[in-house]
Amino acid sequence: MLLPVLFIAPALAVLLSLSIYPLIYSVTISLQQETSAGVTWSFENFARLASDNFFLTAMAHTFVYTIAALTCEFLLGLGLALLLNKQIRGRGLFRASLLVPMMLPTVVVGVVWRLMLNPNFGAINGTLKQLGINTESLTWTASPRLAMLSVIAVDVWQWTPFVFLVLLAGLQAIPQGPYEAALIDGSSRWQTFRHVTLPLLKPAILIVLLLRTMDLLRVFDQIFILTEGGPGFATETISLYIYRTAFRFFDFGYAAAMSFVLLALTSVISAIYIRFLQAKEAV
Amino acid sequence: MNHKDTKSTKSDKQGSLSVLRVFVVNNFRYALLLPALLFALAPVYWMLTISLKTEVDQFASPPPWFVFTPTLEHYYDAFVTRAFGQYLITSAIVAVTSTGCALIIGTMAAYALARFQLPWSLNRRLSLWILSTRMFPAIVTAVPLFLMMRDVRLLNTRASLIIVYTAFNLPFVIWMMRGFFADLPRDLEEAALVDGDSRLGALVRVVLPLVAPGLAATAMFCLIISWNEFLFALVLTQTDAAMTLPVGIAGRVTQYEIKWGVMSAAASVAIVPILVFALVLQKYLVRGLSMGAVKG
Amino acid sequence: MSIEFQHVSKHFGGTCVVDDLSLEIRDGEFVVLLGPSGCGKTTTLRMLAGLESVTSGDIFIGEERINDVPTQHRDLAMVFQSYALYPHMTIAENIGYPLRVRKIEKTERAKRVNRVAAMLEIESLLERKPRQLSGGERQRVALARAIVREPRAYLMDEPLSNLDARLRVQMRGELKRLQHQLGTTTIYVTHDQAEAMTLASRVAVMRKGRLQQFDTPMNIYNHPANRFVAEFVGSPSMNFVEGKVDFDNGTFVNDSLSILLNASQLSELTGQSDLTIGIRPEHIQVLTEPHDGAIAASVYVTELMGNETFVFLSVGTNRLIARAPADFRAEVESKVWLRLAIEKAHFFDLVSGDVCYFPVRRSVP
Repeated sequence: MLLPVLFIAPALAVLLSLSIYPLIYSVTISLQQETSAGVTWSFENFARLASDNFFLTAMAHTFVYTIAALTCEFLLGLGLALLLNKQIRGRGLFRASLLVPMMLPTVVVGVVWRLMLNPNFGAINGTLKQLGINTESLTWTASPRLAMLSVIAVDVWQWTPFVFLVLLAGLQAIPQGPYEAALIDGSSRWQTFRHVTLPLLKPAILIVLLLRTMDLLRVFDQIFILTEGGPGFATETISLYIYRTAFRFFDFGYAAAMSFVLLALTSVISAIYIRFLQAKEAV
Repeated sequence: MNHKDTKSTKSDKQGSLSVLRVFVVNNFRYALLLPALLFALAPVYWMLTISLKTEVDQFASPPPWFVFTPTLEHYYDAFVTRAFGQYLITSAIVAVTSTGCALIIGTMAAYALARFQLPWSLNRRLSLWILSTRMFPAIVTAVPLFLMMRDVRLLNTRASLIIVYTAFNLPFVIWMMRGFFADLPRDLEEAALVDGDSRLGALVRVVLPLVAPGLAATAMFCLIISWNEFLFALVLTQTDAAMTLPVGIAGRVTQYEIKWGVMSAAASVAIVPILVFALVLQKYLVRGLSMGAVKG
Repeated sequence: MSIEFQHVSKHFGGTCVVDDLSLEIRDGEFVVLLGPSGCGKTTTLRMLAGLESVTSGDIFIGEERINDVPTQHRDLAMVFQSYALYPHMTIAENIGYPLRVRKIEKTERAKRVNRVAAMLEIESLLERKPRQLSGGERQRVALARAIVREPRAYLMDEPLSNLDARLRVQMRGELKRLQHQLGTTTIYVTHDQAEAMTLASRVAVMRKGRLQQFDTPMNIYNHPANRFVAEFVGSPSMNFVEGKVDFDNGTFVNDSLSILLNASQLSELTGQSDLTIGIRPEHIQVLTEPHDGAIAASVYVTELMGNETFVFLSVGTNRLIARAPADFRAEVESKVWLRLAIEKAHFFDLVSGDVCYFPVRRSVP
């Protein structure tokens, strides 16, 4: 029994000290308040959340962002995967090219799209102008109405390929047998899709939805570069607000409290997904 | 005789119709693919052109997509005049070191989880726990880590990033390598033991050579993840001496006057390793990114 | 080197996989562990190799108790069912591996590898990789790796089961000859009774973790210790009929047949009532004409094997198989008559399966 313990110990040590201990540290400071009398324990940080407009707005923004981006990425990715589920020449090159957006550093994605969306010299407005469309009011990231749309679009650009590739792999893992049986049984294309393809694709779908949801809920990098949460606070998601609280206002206790809400949220949602996944596998 | 003739022409017509349909359908896929490809790559291409255009061309309207005089002034500006060269080196050192550490520690743990039966169904529990640490929103640990690093005076050092990135990459390494070890038949190690090799010797001479491709793929993933990482670097390093490339690029963005040329030059260099790896790794990528749930 | 199992048991969690096994194997013997899947034979082999721990009991190699000796120090060689060849090494490196880990230097290693390769006729394959070899070739490489270092004993886990039928028969002969040449103790696991019968000097029949019988192939064939062994060894398998001894008439009866027993059987079986009688197919003679004392039967189906014919018969509710000469022909449902060599019959207790009566005197191994 000694050998396996020896092998696992270093990894456990690293994870405990750098993943678990910070959480404990965080709980501690979230429950503390600095008063003139020193440091006391209180729930004040958590109580503040309910009345903090910035927090509530940030949560709303996060949900809107997540649901909108997830829906677009999923539908586009699934559609593409279904259409392209055949042997394609140059598949390796094609796959590598599609991977580029999601492998870019998020900072670079931010830079790329800031350039594209620049109202004056960006490629988007430049091309629209050439098509005769008036772009005066299309200030994308600087416009309160369009900013959220822009950041969502950027995320869709970056991650639809991922959804596409995972679902494609899932589709191709489905054996030919059930399809042939369905054909013989006289099933129509839609029926085959509903009763054969979809159920067998469920594990891949759930995994991809789970991973994307987790990533979307905690989004930070791209929005930071694109809009810094602006204009004003129009695109501030929860991670950005936590960052602002901790590193602009240095209110670490409050930031820690918010982190916990975020952690609880992501844990609950992932638990729900995993419950679905396991239910599928049991069948 | 006549009757037969009409019958054959009818089937000929149907034949050519279906050939046409097949042609359209097949090429319709390519017709969809090409724009998708362009859409994915065009923005990156745009950024590359910005890095190579003079300032005049950059602000030209309508923007020139292909015809312009290229210049390397921004690259010179970024990497020689300014500190981007240093940021690049920092990124490289941090990525390589943390990947190396994560690989060593993680592969050992992965081997133990794949081969040894631990009591209290620890194998499954540990694996799930390790997976869950991967799911944490970065900001949740970033705030306390900042405070912890501040307490031990490791802020603004490369060491702090190496430590954090190792912890960051560890769950991924364990998850990937465990899969690769599990795919290897036990027979081979048992044969090595019966042949007289020690457990360690069997690991080195038989197991490692066979998981080498998986190890390489995992290493490349970790390098990419470390190279791209932004939030922890932003929080932990604010000085020129310790900043990584992504932080350096972002710094330019939040400034007063945005030097687009410099920024895109730095960003273009930042993506070079990515493009190289993407080509090499594209076979493993789906498996890696979906945490092994789907084998691409 | 002699090998001994003393009251060895193995439990996996709550399940008992090997139950109180005691076996004494002499130096140079070829012992086969025979039984159906799940009977514990492979687990026994693996305990000997050190790949499984022993729950209770002791295993000895020679005088040395090896329960706690780690695998790599037991100096045994093993041929795995899957051959377990190292895919990333050449054949020469595969064979040389046991020598390499013993730090034997290069030239000596090469010499021994070449010698063994010549013995097994695989010299031409030495620079290739395992994936380039056929099943039979890989099997020989696995053997070569086992014999290159002259271990205390060879352990073989169903080494022939992945080969096609013809190759299997051919390799069987070569294995036997090889073992005879080398003279090393060999323990061989299989579920194929033909392999056991042809290769072994002694066979250990196992069932559900328990040793059923440990004896020479001939003794196991002619004097099975219980019904399980009798049924498992011999193809086509022994015929079994359940019934009672009618001592008044000197017959064995059930609801559809009546068999005359001889005096020796009747005297040995006094006191027994419910029994199973076992007769090997070769001891049933099928006649197309009625005969005195012959039993009436109807043909169910015949199988022409070329060198002989198997006749499947129904006698009332009883089903029997008989061996007939190659030219025997009969229509389905036709009537035939059976003459049983009753002096060759075995009798088993209906409940326990243990044998009650031996037809012939046992030869001492």
